[in-house]
Amino acid sequence: MLWYKAWLETRSRFLVSLATLTIFSSIFFHHALYISCLNTLPCPEKITRSERVSEFHRLLFINQQYVVIMWILAVVLLGMGGMVREKALGTSSLTLTLPVSRARLMRVRVATGVFQAIALGVVPWLAVLIISSRARMPISVAQVGFYMLLLVGGGLVYFAMAVLVSSLVSGEYTAPALAFGAILLGAMLFDNWLRRFNVWRLVTGDFSIDRNTFLLSKHLPWPGILASLCAAALMLLASVIAVQRKEF
Amino acid sequence: MTNEFVILTHRLTKSYGHCEAVRELDLSIGRNRITAFLGRNGAGKSTTIKMLLGLIRPTAGSGEVLGRQITDAEQNRKMRKRVAYVAEDKPLYGYMTVEQTIDFARSFYSDWRMDVEKKLLLDFELPANRKVKSLSKGMRTKLALLLAFARRPDLLILDESSEGLDPVGIEYLLRTLVSCSAEGVSIFFSSHQIAEVERVADHICILEKGSLLMDASVDQLRQSYRRIDIVFSASPPEHDFRISGVESIKTDGHQMRVFASRNAEAVVERAQELSAVSVEIAPVGLRDVFLETVGEN
Repeated sequence: MLWYKAWLETRSRFLVSLATLTIFSSIFFHHALYISCLNTLPCPEKITRSERVSEFHRLLFINQQYVVIMWILAVVLLGMGGMVREKALGTSSLTLTLPVSRARLMRVRVATGVFQAIALGVVPWLAVLIISSRARMPISVAQVGFYMLLLVGGGLVYFAMAVLVSSLVSGEYTAPALAFGAILLGAMLFDNWLRRFNVWRLVTGDFSIDRNTFLLSKHLPWPGILASLCAAALMLLASVIAVQRKEF
Repeated sequence: MTNEFVILTHRLTKSYGHCEAVRELDLSIGRNRITAFLGRNGAGKSTTIKMLLGLIRPTAGSGEVLGRQITDAEQNRKMRKRVAYVAEDKPLYGYMTVEQTIDFARSFYSDWRMDVEKKLLLDFELPANRKVKSLSKGMRTKLALLLAFARRPDLLILDESSEGLDPVGIEYLLRTLVSCSAEGVSIFFSSHQIAEVERVADHICILEKGSLLMDASVDQLRQSYRRIDIVFSASPPEHDFRISGVESIKTDGHQMRVFASRNAEAVVERAQELSAVSVEIAPVGLRDVFLETVGEN
């Protein structure tokens, strides 16, 4: 039932985010089909087929940028809550007097959040896949899979950071404000001084895109994804330790 | 730790900076008793309960609940399986319905009493499908009590449990506490309602500024505590009555009121020796005992 509790706590945030991301991606994809003239609409004759395909892939790449922004917003909001917030709301004494360890409470919360983050990364792109096949303009499953993996594999560190912040700060607005502030600051600092390690560029596919064809390269950036996942794991471990040590 | 005590603490202390919320507390709460935990606001009652349940860590000292160390996370978790707790602010998840809350709580206890759950749902007239956040304070209290009573705990810890209940609800609660005790559940409860405490408790612990001032059975209190009103023809010789067992002396003109925790007979004898005009001895209620004990301190 801890799973059920975690689901009830986050379901409205999750469902709103899922609907927003899916609807946005679907509309954007329709728009991409239209302006790249790859659907049934008439198109200026001067544009070649290969140029149109390239434009279409460029628009898919842009879609990923928007999806990443919305996905980060969503996972940070999903990472909010938890025991520290429950303390502020007064329900922590109910949760913590259940015969359940604090580590298990955190595990369930994190696992629920990770599943939801994965769903938020996968479902909008699945919608794009379905729409593309219905429009008889199927896009490469490998390309879509690449985008999904970059988003979820590289981006879980944002969720982990939100969980860590919410395990240290109790304010309803302070915690998300701090998390978003840290993301912005991190993106700016890394972009200026440690561009190769910028998670934002990893997740959006900026490191992997071919600027001529706008297709993602065949090789996944495994070192970057693994480093990002390791950082996420460390942050989540720190969150568990913080909650175990905290007094309620 | 013997099987005799459900709660046992040794020099249990909790400090926040320089402020000692609980100071070297030695508690021994007997099994199968209804023990009232009394004290003024800020006396350290809730802090003590939170330490017992592992919500906060003691600064010093040790404690055991149902034979398990409170500071050991795993032992504390196992202990919480046998302890039901109703917190002062009756915390419940506002986003759940009454039914979901009960289902949620039930899932953690294999020996959940469905018969008690159904009976209390009916008796408390709780709306199963209504969200907890839309319930009144009294209804929330009733739901919190249902969650505690529907289990089969060895120890029931209640912190200001009657707050928010109407007189009918309070009556029901008190009767339920007595019947739970008769079934072998040990009860440890804090309350500011002395009349309620006097009706159900068979043991009293009074806490003041984090220290235990009194640990006695209600029968013992009734037998030994006395108020002696003495009238003299001249100013009362107050210093002559400062003997063992006298807790407080108040004088008003030629009248003197002595509050004794024992040795009331010696006070009466002393008054007669000093040619008192009149001497009246009367038993005292728990309210007076509490006020005198806390007030004197």
